[in-house]
Amino acid sequence: MQLPGEGRAPVIGTSSALIGAVVLLVLILVWIRADSTLRHPPSVLDAWLPDEGDTVEVCPPEFVSQIFSGQDLAFISRLESPDLKRHFLRERNAVALLWVRQTAAAIHRIMRRHLEASRLSEDIEFAMEARIFLQYAQLRLICALLFLLIGLAGPQRLHGMALSADKLTQRIGNVLREFESGARTDEMDGARSS
Amino acid sequence: MVRDLPEPHRVCVKWGRVGMSAAFRLVPVQEVYDDLLHRTLSRISCDLGRLIYLASTRDYNTGNYYHEGLASRFSPEVARKALELAHRQAFYRVSGFSLEELAGDLEAYLRSTRENPQEFLRTWQKLEPYRIAIPTEVNLTVARLFTSNLRLALAILRSRQEPSQSHR
Repeated sequence: MQLPGEGRAPVIGTSSALIGAVVLLVLILVWIRADSTLRHPPSVLDAWLPDEGDTVEVCPPEFVSQIFSGQDLAFISRLESPDLKRHFLRERNAVALLWVRQTAAAIHRIMRRHLEASRLSEDIEFAMEARIFLQYAQLRLICALLFLLIGLAGPQRLHGMALSADKLTQRIGNVLREFESGARTDEMDGARSS
Repeated sequence: MVRDLPEPHRVCVKWGRVGMSAAFRLVPVQEVYDDLLHRTLSRISCDLGRLIYLASTRDYNTGNYYHEGLASRFSPEVARKALELAHRQAFYRVSGFSLEELAGDLEAYLRSTRENPQEFLRTWQKLEPYRIAIPTEVNLTVARLFTSNLRLALAILRSRQEPSQSHR
């Protein structure tokens, strides 16, 4: 004798596994597309641009807002040229993806520097370290989401998300700067007293 | 970290020695910058023109800036700093333009060169000479936004030229 709904469980299991696999496949494809946009910029001469390693400055917030704003897309749409619109979307996606990659790399560099400084510091506040790590993890997650969503939805729909990532980057940077200046003051005090 | 902002009044004041005369006069870079702004840059009609002019004062081999008039009036070192600062300011200003503003500014620059528009647009799309207008130490994303927007502005102007050509 079969209980009601007994035979359905494997069907639901199979269909959710199928949906999961499809979602995973789409995400992998989007990731590959975003990655190839970065690897193959619209112009071969882009390799000439200043080296990433040399730039320590984060992108000013007004430019982040500009990259993800809908103003330029509205202007291009008014021109009623499908070719120009395609060109615009390709270019703007590439710039937005570059910003995401640059932000992730900058925050990674900042955190690495902070970890090196923390190893040498004697008085580490656990609560503060946990807060910094949580903010760092949150920012990495936003960057990963932005990387995926830029290709799917376009930068213009992710304006708020990009701005919050930018604010979070600044906040982490400020906290770590305060931490470093505090550590330096402690070192100087220690040197004076010894 | 020094944040570059386009407004000239936010130029940070640095000091430099002027001349080799007995009385050393300390001149802030701001003074030289203002001189450059009023005597030279104000005569150029568009922002892109100002940016390209400032980039042209940079030596391709050394990356150092030189302006004969400024160097003789003040000193080569202070002139160099003022030119570098002005270049970065002009670059961030143009990079901050919306596409509509940039297309308008590019059109004004094109008119000021008095070259054949078709030839100008074709050459700029092919050679991308505006890349030399990027200062040495700027944010990578802003540099990329600048080249990307100029590519788009060129495509916009070219698309405006094409229908007018086909009507002839």
